[in-house]
Amino acid sequence: MKANKIFLLVLTLGLSLNACQDQLELKPAQSIADTQASANESNVKAVLIGAYDAMAEGDLFGGNTLRNAELQAGDDEILWVGTFFDPREIFNKTMQTANRDATELWLDGYNAINIANNVLAFLPVVAEKDRKTVEGEAEFIRALVYFELVRFFGKPYVAGQTNSQLGVPLITEPTRGIDEKSQVARSTVEQVYAAVIADLIKAEANLPQTNSWRASSLAATALLARVYLQQGDYAKARDAANKVISSGKFALLADYADNFNRDANSSEDIFAVQVTDQDGINNMNTFFSIPDFGARDGDIEILDGHLNLYPTGDVRKDLFFDGAGAMRTGKWNNQFGNIGLIRLAEMYLIRAEGNARLNASVGATPLADYNTIRKRAGLAEATAVTIDQILLERRLELAHEGFRIHDLKRTKQAVGKFNYDADKLVFPIPFREIEVNKALEQNPGY
Amino acid sequence: MKQHLLALLLMLCGATLTFAQRTISGKVTAENGEALIGASILVKGASGTATDVDGTFSLNVPANATILEVSYTGYASQEITLGASNVVNITLKESITQLTESIITGYGASQIKRTLTGNIAKLKGEDIQNLPVPSVEQGLQGRTAGVFVESVNGKPGGAIRVRVRGASSITASSQPLYVIDGVPITVASQNQNGAALNPLADLNFNDIESLEVLKDASAGAIYGARAANGVVLITTKKGRSGRTNIEFDIQRGIGQPSGYREFLNTAEFIQYYTEAANNTDVVDGVDPNDSGSTTTFVKNRFKRYSGYADYTKQEIETDWQDEAFRTANSTQASLSASGGNDKTRFFASASLSDQEGILVGNAFQRLSTRLNLSQKASERLTLGMNMSLSRTYTNQVPDDNAFSTPLQLIALAPITPVRDLTGRLYDRPTATYYNGLIDVEDAKRDIISYRTLANATASYQIVKNLTLTGEVGADIYNLRDNLFASRRTFAGQGTNGTGNSLYAQVVNINTKAYLNYNGKISERQNLGFTVGTEFQRSRQDRTNVTGTEFPVDDLKTLASSAKITVGNSTLTEFSFLSYFGRVNYDFDRRFLLTLSGRVDGSSRFGINNRFGFFPAASAGWVISEEGFMENSPFSFFKIRASYGLTGNAEIGNFQQLGLLGSASYNGVSGLSPNQIANDDLQWEKTGQLDIGIDFAILKDRISAEIDYYNKNTFDLLLNVPVPGTSGFRTQTQNIGRVENRGFEFVLNGRVLDGAFKWSTALNLAFNQNEVKELAPGQDIIDQGSARLMNVVKVGAPLGVFYGAEYAGVDPQNGDALWYLNTPGKERETTNDFNLVQYIELGSPQPTVIGGFTNTFSYKGLELSVMFQGVGGNSIHNGAGEFMSANANWFDNQTKDQLSAWKKVGDITNVPQARLGYVNGNQSRSSRYLEDGDYIRLRSATLSYQLPSSVLGKLNLSKLRIYLTGQNLLVFTKYTGWDPEVSSDAFVDNVTSGVDFYAAPQPRTVVLGATIGF
Repeated sequence: MKANKIFLLVLTLGLSLNACQDQLELKPAQSIADTQASANESNVKAVLIGAYDAMAEGDLFGGNTLRNAELQAGDDEILWVGTFFDPREIFNKTMQTANRDATELWLDGYNAINIANNVLAFLPVVAEKDRKTVEGEAEFIRALVYFELVRFFGKPYVAGQTNSQLGVPLITEPTRGIDEKSQVARSTVEQVYAAVIADLIKAEANLPQTNSWRASSLAATALLARVYLQQGDYAKARDAANKVISSGKFALLADYADNFNRDANSSEDIFAVQVTDQDGINNMNTFFSIPDFGARDGDIEILDGHLNLYPTGDVRKDLFFDGAGAMRTGKWNNQFGNIGLIRLAEMYLIRAEGNARLNASVGATPLADYNTIRKRAGLAEATAVTIDQILLERRLELAHEGFRIHDLKRTKQAVGKFNYDADKLVFPIPFREIEVNKALEQNPGY
Repeated sequence: MKQHLLALLLMLCGATLTFAQRTISGKVTAENGEALIGASILVKGASGTATDVDGTFSLNVPANATILEVSYTGYASQEITLGASNVVNITLKESITQLTESIITGYGASQIKRTLTGNIAKLKGEDIQNLPVPSVEQGLQGRTAGVFVESVNGKPGGAIRVRVRGASSITASSQPLYVIDGVPITVASQNQNGAALNPLADLNFNDIESLEVLKDASAGAIYGARAANGVVLITTKKGRSGRTNIEFDIQRGIGQPSGYREFLNTAEFIQYYTEAANNTDVVDGVDPNDSGSTTTFVKNRFKRYSGYADYTKQEIETDWQDEAFRTANSTQASLSASGGNDKTRFFASASLSDQEGILVGNAFQRLSTRLNLSQKASERLTLGMNMSLSRTYTNQVPDDNAFSTPLQLIALAPITPVRDLTGRLYDRPTATYYNGLIDVEDAKRDIISYRTLANATASYQIVKNLTLTGEVGADIYNLRDNLFASRRTFAGQGTNGTGNSLYAQVVNINTKAYLNYNGKISERQNLGFTVGTEFQRSRQDRTNVTGTEFPVDDLKTLASSAKITVGNSTLTEFSFLSYFGRVNYDFDRRFLLTLSGRVDGSSRFGINNRFGFFPAASAGWVISEEGFMENSPFSFFKIRASYGLTGNAEIGNFQQLGLLGSASYNGVSGLSPNQIANDDLQWEKTGQLDIGIDFAILKDRISAEIDYYNKNTFDLLLNVPVPGTSGFRTQTQNIGRVENRGFEFVLNGRVLDGAFKWSTALNLAFNQNEVKELAPGQDIIDQGSARLMNVVKVGAPLGVFYGAEYAGVDPQNGDALWYLNTPGKERETTNDFNLVQYIELGSPQPTVIGGFTNTFSYKGLELSVMFQGVGGNSIHNGAGEFMSANANWFDNQTKDQLSAWKKVGDITNVPQARLGYVNGNQSRSSRYLEDGDYIRLRSATLSYQLPSSVLGKLNLSKLRIYLTGQNLLVFTKYTGWDPEVSSDAFVDNVTSGVDFYAAPQPRTVVLGATIGF
C-alpha cells in the first residue's frame, strides 16, 4: 500500500539521519583552531596584522589614548560636554576605579601585547628573509602599547632617579592557558620604560628604514625620541629626532592643514593608525568633531583659553571652526581618516627642545628648528628662542593630538589645582582587574 | 483528544463485527443549553460517532448494547444506560476538576493528570484565546505556577524573559526549550537593527490547543540536555470528525502607556538649572557674573536650547514624554475551520494581527496561516502533517540605550520647541541631544520575517497498543532586516545617509522515530513506554551589507549607496543526536512509577565529553484509592516524588574550541586569537528533587497541588573573568553551582456551581535563588561597570544588586553621603565614593510570583478577571544617573529632584544641585534602587454569548461579544514608568531588573466578537 511506503520512507530517513554520529563533528566557519596560528609563515604574518588591528582599537590608538591625554590636561583650553560619564571623570579628575575608559585601555592594551607576544614566539616559522621585519613590527607595537600603559597607569617618570613607583605588569610571553601564573604583579615604571626602550632599539635594528604604512626603523627611532623626551633624557631624545630628520625620508607639508583628515600617510607622517571606511575607528573624530562629520554631539568644545594662545596670522588657528554651538578643532573631521601618531614636526620640536636644553646645535640650531615650524604656520621668523617658546610652539603645533598631559607631566607643570604628580592625574588600576588578580596593587588615591 | 483516538480505535474494532442493530439519536448539550459540537458518543466496546454542529447525533448500535459513553473535552464524561427509547438527550456537566485531563508528556504520549508523577503545568489554548498581546509567552504569565514571564518592555514583538522555577544559568541561556508539535524551534533573535525581536511572536497563539510546561526532572528528562530550564510543549489544534465548524473572530482596540513619570516643566527647569549653576560657581570660587562662570555658561545654554523662542518669557512648554508616546490602535482578525470524517480530520486557520506600539514609530503586524491534517491511510497507519506559514512585519525602534529611541526624548529640555518656525524638527545644538523624532520621520527599520513550521508524521500500529512513529520536522526562519537612515538622522549624519540590509536564515531540521506502548500487563497493572531516537541540526546563515553616501533621501536601497562600508556573511551550526526512553507503570491506579532518560550528544560539547546521560525517576501513591481513606473528606489524594538530572546545552556554538578569528587592518586580512580552548567543556547539569501532593475535596470541586522543589544546577557554564594581562577577558568553563528551591501552590475550584457560576484559580510560587559556588577562590563576578550593578556573588541571588549604600545628604553642605561599609566602620559615612565598600542591596529576582483568576458567569454573561504579581525584587533605575541626578548635566530631571538640598540644615535625600559635578549621581548606589513588587490587573474580560435558541434563528452556532482590558491597573511602589521591566539594552542572565528608558507595558482595551457558523 502506498501510504505504507511513505511511512517506511519517513522512518528510514529518520533512522538513517540519526545513525550519523559524525554529524556532531561540526566546524566553525568564521574561526580556525588557535593551533593554526603557527602552522605556516603566512599565518604568523596574518597574526601580525591582528596585532596592528588590536593596536588600532578605539580604546587604544584608534583615538581614546589621544583623547584622554587631552581631556586629563584640558582645564581651561577644552571642555567636555558629552553625556558619557567616564570621559567626564577623566576630565574632572574624579575617576572611579570602574571607569570604563581605564578598563578598556587596560584590556585592549594587553590584548595587543598578547598578540605581539604570539608573533614573537612564532618567529622560527617565518623564513629568514622576512623574519627580522616581522620581529621588529611586533616589538614596535608592543613598545607603543607599553609606553601608553605606563604613562596612564603609573606616576610620571622623573629624570635623574630610579623610578621605583609602580608601572604596569610586564608580560612578554604569549598566553597559553589561565592558571596562578596569570596573576602578575606590577613592574616599576623604570622597568617598563627599560622594556619599551629595549624593544624599540631591537625594532630599530630589525626593521627596514621605511616600510609603507607599517612600523619602520625610523618610526622606532622617532618613538624612541618621544620616550627619551618623556624621561628627560634630552641628549638621546635629540639624537634620535635628529636621526629621523636627517634621514631625509620625511618632509614637512607645505600646508599645515594637509596633515589632518587624511586617508593615506603624507610625507610628514612617520607612523599613523590607518582607518578606512571598511575598517578601524577614529575616536578622535567621534569625540572632537560634530554630527555633520559623523561624530557624536560635539562632546569636546575648544575654549578661548586655547584659541587666544595663537598669535595673529597663525594659519593653525584657521583650522578651528564654529560648529554645533561651540568652537571645534578641524583636525578630526574625517570619520574614516587616519590618526597620525608620529609626524615629522614633532621631531623638529624634540630636536629644538633637546638642543636648547643642552645648549647645543646638533643637526640644527634650536632657532632654526623653531623657525622651520613657525614658517610653515605662516608666522614671521624669530631671531632668538627660549625653551618656553619652544614648549609653547609644541603646544600649538601638536594641539589636540594627544600630547598635552604627558608634556605637562614631564615639564612638572600643574593641571589646574592638581600638581603634575597628583594621585588623581594617574588612572586607577581597573576594578575588574583588581578583583581577578590579587597580585595587583591599586594606585594611591583610589 | 484521547477520547477521539479511542473512538477511532473502537470504531475500527467495531467495523469487523456484525450484530443486529438499532439507531440511537439525540442531542448533547451543556448545562446552559449550548449545543456541544463534536462530543464523542461511544457504545462500550463497539461503534462510535461525534455530535454534529447542532449537537445532534445518530448512531447505529448493536441490539445488545446497553451503555453509551458520552464525553467532551472539559466536561465530565457520562455513561448512559440505554433503555427502550431510541432518542437519548444528554446534558454534560463541565468537569469540575482537571484530574481527568489528559496531559501531553512528549513524543506522542500523554497521561491522565491523576496518574501523573511528574510536575507539568497545563494551559488550555482557550484560556489565552484572543488576548490582545503579540506573543504566546505573555499568555503563560500568571496562569502557570512557578513560571516567571516578563515582557522586557512595552515594544510589541519584543523580547520576553521566561524563567521556569528560577534562573539557574549565568552564561548559558536560561530560557526554556520550546517544542511546537514535536519540533524544537528557533527562539534566538536574529534582527540587528533596533531592539531585539522575539521569534516566538511569529506564532498565532489562537492556533494553540494546549501548552504544557514540563517543570520537574521527571517530566523533563526525556528532553535531556535541554530540559534544565523547563520545556514548553505547544500543541496546535486538530480537527474533530463531524460537521465543519467555521469560526470568525474580530477585535479592535486601543492602547496607552500604563504609566508615566513626571519631569520638570519650563519654569522649574530654568529655576533649577540656574540654581545648579550658581552652586557650581560657589564651589569653584567663580563670580557668577564672570564670562567664564557656570552661570554664564548655563544662560548661554538656555538661549541655545530655546531655538527661536526667548527662554526668559517661558513661552515654550514642551512635554517630551507626550511626544514619545501615542495612542496605539490594534486590530486582530482570525478565521478558522475545522472538521473531518472517520478518516480525515483537518484544522485550518488564517489570521491577521496589526498592533501599533505605544512608542511613536513602533508597529507590529503578523499574518499567519495554518493547516493541520491527519489521514487514516489504513487500519494501522495514520499520516499527519502540520504546517504553518507566517509573515511578521515590524517597524522597530532602537533599543533603550540609543539616543534615537523615542523614550530618550524625555532627556530634552522643556524650553526647547519640537520644531523650528519652518516646521523642521529641531536637532542639536538646539536640542540638548539628538531629537529621536527625526528617526520617526526620517529613518526606517523594516523587519520582515517569514516563518515555516512544518512536521510530517507517520504512525503505524504494529500490534494492539504498540505504535511506531516517524517524524520529520522543520522550522525555517527567514528574516530580512532593512535600515535606512537619512542624512538628517543620527546614524546617517556625516555620511549622507546610511543603509543596512541583513538577511538571516535559520534552518532547523528535526527527525525522530519512536515506539509507544500503552496497555495492561494484568487486570490491575498498566504499563506504558516510549523509546526512540532524535536528530536535530540547525544552521544559521547571515548576510549583512552596510552602505553610506546616498544621492538623495528618497533612494533608500543599497543600490544607491556610493560606498559599501560593510559586506559580510557568516555561518554557524549545531547538532544534537539523542536516544531517549520512558516507562510508566501503575498498579491498580494506586501505585505509580515513571522512569525516563535520555542520552544527548552535541556538536557544542568538548571532544572529551561528547555524550551526556540524563536519567530521572518518579513515584506516586494515590492514597484516596485505599480503603482506609473511604470516609475522608478527600475525594482525591496523591503524593508523588521525583528526582533526576537534566542539562542545559544552550551555551553557544563552538565554545569549547581554541580559536583564531579574523581581523583586518587597512585592507589587509589578519588573524587574532579570540578564544581559549576547553576540551572538557560540557552541558550544565541540574539535579532536581520534587515532592508534591495533589488533592481534591467536595467531590473534586476544589482541587489543589502543593510542590516543594530543589533545583541544584552545577558545572555551570561560566565566562570566568581572567586577568586582562593575559590578553583575554574571560574563559568559558564548567564551574560553579546555583540553587533554586521553593514551593508552588495551585488551587482550582468551582466555588458556585448553580445558574450563577464562580470558578477560581490561584497559583503562587515562592523561589529562593542562591549562587552556591563559583571558581575556586572566587566569590564574585563583577564586570566592574560603573552604570550597572548586577553581579554574581556566592551566597546571594543571581544578578544581585551590588553597590554603594546611599546614606542621604549631609545637612551641613549638601554633599551626597554613603555608608563606608568597610569592616569596623560599617555605619560611618563618607562623601568619597571611591572609599565605599559595595554591599548587596537587593535582588532583581522575585521571591514570589503568582496569579489569581476568577471567572463569574450567569447564563451567557461571563466576567473573567486575572491578577498577576511578583514580589521580593528590586529595580535599578540605570538612567537615574541622568534623569534624577540633581542637575549633574542638562538631561531634564524628574520632578522629585526639586527637593535638592539648598541650605544648611536641610534634611533631604537629594544632594545639592551642582551642574557639571558628580554629587551623588553615581549609578551603582542604592539611591537608584527601588522596591519592584507589583500586583497587576493583567486582564479582564466581559463577554456575552447568545443562547442557542437565538443562534438557531440566526443560523449561527456561536456568537460571542467581548470586551477585554489588558494591564488595566497596577499596584506598586515603584516610581518609574512600569515595574515590569528589564530594559532591552541591558538584559541577560545576570543583568536584569534594570530600568533604562524602558517603555511601559501598554494598557489595552479591545472590543471583539466571535461568530461561529
